[in-house]
Amino acid sequence: MNVDQCVHCGLCLTACPTYEATGLEMESPRGRLVLLNNWAANANFQSRDAAQWLDDCLDCRACESACPSNIPTGHLVEEWRSTVPLGTANRRLLLGLSQAVGSPRGLKRLQRLIRIGQNPLGRWALSKLGSLLSIATGDVLDGLPPSILPGLSRESLTTNMPNADTMMFVGCIMDAVYNQSNEHTAALLRLAGHTVTVPSNQVCCGALHRHGGDPATTRRLAKANIKAYEATGAQQVVVNAAGCGTTLKEYPTLFESGSEWHFRAISFSRAVRDVIQTLAERPLAQLTQQSTTITVHDACHHTAQNLNQSTRALLERAGFSIREMPNSTRCCGSAGVYNLTHPSMGRTLAQQKVSDIPPETQIVAAANPGCILQIQAGTRHYGRNTVTVRHPIDLAYDAYRAAGYLGGVADAT
Amino acid sequence: MQPKWMTSIEEIVGQRHVLTQPEALATYAQDGYTLSREVPLAVILPGSTSEVQAVMKVLSRHGVPVVARGAGTSLSGGAIPVAGSVVLHFSRMRQIHHIDWENRLVEVDPGVVNQDISRAVASEGFFYAPDPSSQRVCTIGGNFAENSGGPHCLKYGVTVNHIVMADIVLANGNLRRLGNSTADPDGPDWLGLLIGSEGTLGIATRLWLRITQRPIDSTTVLALFDHIDEASYAVSEIIAAGIIPAAMEMMDGLTISAVERGAYPVGYPTDLAAVLLIELDGEPGLTEHETQETLHRLALRQVRQVVKAQNATETNLWWANRKTAFGAMGLISPRYYVQDGVIPRHVLPDALKTIRTISQDYGIRIANVFHAGDGNLHPLLLYDNHDKSEVERVKQAGSDILDYCISRGGSITGEHGIGLEKISEMASQFNRQELAAQRAIKDAFDPTQLLNPGKLLPMPGRCIDYAN
Ligand SMILES: Cc1cc2nc3c(=O)[nH]c(=O)nc-3n(C[C@H](O)[C@H](O)[C@H](O)COP(=O)(O)OP(=O)(O)OC[C@H]3O[C@@H](n4cnc5c(N)ncnc54)[C@H](O)[C@@H]3O)c2cc1C
Ligand code: SF4
Ligand code: SF4
Repeated sequence: MNVDQCVHCGLCLTACPTYEATGLEMESPRGRLVLLNNWAANANFQSRDAAQWLDDCLDCRACESACPSNIPTGHLVEEWRSTVPLGTANRRLLLGLSQAVGSPRGLKRLQRLIRIGQNPLGRWALSKLGSLLSIATGDVLDGLPPSILPGLSRESLTTNMPNADTMMFVGCIMDAVYNQSNEHTAALLRLAGHTVTVPSNQVCCGALHRHGGDPATTRRLAKANIKAYEATGAQQVVVNAAGCGTTLKEYPTLFESGSEWHFRAISFSRAVRDVIQTLAERPLAQLTQQSTTITVHDACHHTAQNLNQSTRALLERAGFSIREMPNSTRCCGSAGVYNLTHPSMGRTLAQQKVSDIPPETQIVAAANPGCILQIQAGTRHYGRNTVTVRHPIDLAYDAYRAAGYLGGVADAT
Repeated sequence: MQPKWMTSIEEIVGQRHVLTQPEALATYAQDGYTLSREVPLAVILPGSTSEVQAVMKVLSRHGVPVVARGAGTSLSGGAIPVAGSVVLHFSRMRQIHHIDWENRLVEVDPGVVNQDISRAVASEGFFYAPDPSSQRVCTIGGNFAENSGGPHCLKYGVTVNHIVMADIVLANGNLRRLGNSTADPDGPDWLGLLIGSEGTLGIATRLWLRITQRPIDSTTVLALFDHIDEASYAVSEIIAAGIIPAAMEMMDGLTISAVERGAYPVGYPTDLAAVLLIELDGEPGLTEHETQETLHRLALRQVRQVVKAQNATETNLWWANRKTAFGAMGLISPRYYVQDGVIPRHVLPDALKTIRTISQDYGIRIANVFHAGDGNLHPLLLYDNHDKSEVERVKQAGSDILDYCISRGGSITGEHGIGLEKISEMASQFNRQELAAQRAIKDAFDPTQLLNPGKLLPMPGRCIDYAN
């Protein structure tokens, strides 16, 4: 599949969040394909501006579902990223972050930094660190949950349980920042009758490295995860972050077709399931309807995995009423760490997303850590302070616990 | 050095709303018509009617030609710049200003996306009727300029039936409000003249559109055929029975093979020769009656299978499949060139036979998808843009198809416009006096030829050549 296959019909334009935000043809999928074509054909077109317009791509893949000719624009931009030097300020930041998430030790350091950032004094200190980084991270820090438990979730969850049917993938940001959500995921999986193992030698999925143009590191991480999975003997790998899910499912594309690793990656990717998918295949009990109305933001990578209906089904079984927001599938601008590398576009998209939250709704469900952080920060900056953004698994967990399924009510009395 | 007029324009719209980087301009060199391209001098993104006026004043003073652009989905090159021109891109002017429920009118900017209007009024049971297959991206400004149609225009009429009033900026920057929101206009129908003039007479900066109440009842039927001629006869017979379906669309086997590989596969059998997609709507009793009558007419033909949609999900899928047919050509060919000829409905079988012959004569594949109900053909001529000889053969074959349409008393365009593409066929469609009259209108509105030059009307010298 190549750039040249685009028939220039334009049907992808309005699906693209960056075109919607800027109105510029160069910030549309069709325009990016022209930029890519010219980039490859003519050195005169390899300018900073062109690089910026290409790099503004969120890799949200909304264009890919809209394109009648199946042109994988998001993927093509990603491929382009891996061919250009990591020269710009944006990309250096990305590099630093991806180093942090690459190992449990790095993750712990990141967690410590974030927890410092949560108290005002620490925040002031951070803001002295550097220009772009601090503005952007300042924005995002506003989206953090009110309290983060110290320690990584893998430490509390780790079981190398033999004969478990399910390996749980704990991720990086989920592991460090949304560690409670990981615990809730394990609890719901068990409630659905699965036996869960959490091997401690699993690593970050490598999405950040891949989007940042460093597929070699992604390949190394992929091999580690595949090995960890193979050692468990589990039938499925369950993941609760939409973005990690697509990366794990795409592991085969990292390896040369026909090679041994390609083969192993295929078996691995077939075993990968989003927790929403697992809970749709073996549904939890139907709870009585509560009065709480929530709205759902569909993470790009959830849409790409066709999970939007199942997410609603899970929440409805847990007793929530859903009031749909317009453009629920439009990217919130988080896109991995896009909000850090492209603060201004990230803000525009966050503002759009917040204005789409129905006025009477106080809870937004979003199944990706980046989206949760981004939209939560957005609600604080754009006048919806009272709204909380939560992972659908956390919402479901609370509901089942309140209904006594997870020992919640019994505990309380 | 930047010319002086460009600096003046930057002062009007703001520097960041004027694009001059070559990499950026290259992305504006084409629209949905891929047989031609030209890079503009600059792209200007105006934010309001008064900015458009001020910009036009500067440009006319300096004699710089202008091409308006909405979403750039024109299939006839209408939005492709000419050498030395600037593009006015309306993507920043995209607000729905007011919905007047009582009078069923919506006041919009030219950059508003067609489908967004139907979305905005859906809650009260209304829709905006003209529904080009590109409706999820194309803009009202583009629809205005092309007098666009769509599958449902068979019953509800095309764009000109749904725009009641518009603010038009003329070539010299003056503003005129044409049409009337409450009654039929007095005097000549200036607005009607401007709609469909492809941006050559004036630029629309605000439009008032009529919205339509959603029909109470609607049924969608698919008829699958083993012979394309049988499908064509069925179309004529349904209309002859006095039924006006909301839409009646046909796709042939090659088109089906493309859409089935695309984003919205319906699951059509792989060996079909044609499919008819028919929608009937209106009052419940009447729709039921018309549906029965339609099914009856279909049964009289050699039809393999007739299916009625069971729910909205199914209907939506069938339509999404049909509406992405052009774009899906990318799956079976590097490029496509779509024709837009119109023929009287009853010659449909003969037209299809002729297209088959042309396809064989030139050795190119032609897929057919069309608004069968109103005889608007859309032969899609498939080609490889790297094969020079094939590009030439495709152009020639396209021209032959249009000549055929004219010879049968039809027209060279149903809804995609003349643009760059069909300008030479204008002289076959119209005689010398007719062309001169059109030229006189153009000169009256735009004496210095600044608005979308090189489109729609052949140049005076050339038109005489053609007419001879
Ligand atoms: C996949 C596909 C399917 C299509 N299906 C249909 C269909 O079913 N029916 C149909 O009729 N067409 C169809 N088209 C053609 C096209 O979508 C229409 O012509 C549409 O109206 C163009 O709108 P646009 O916003 O893209 O305009 P553009 O392509 O940007 O411009 C079209 C013309 O309008 C002029 N223009 C734009 N804005 C203004 C303005 N404000 N004032 C004055 N002039 C202006 C431009 O100069 C140009 O001449 C299809 C195209 C594609 C790619
Ligand atoms: S991946 Fe998203 S941001 Fe990138 S071009 Fe496609 S729609 Fe636009
Ligand atoms: S929808 Fe696909 S084929 Fe059409 S312009 Fe966009 S990328 Fe190209």
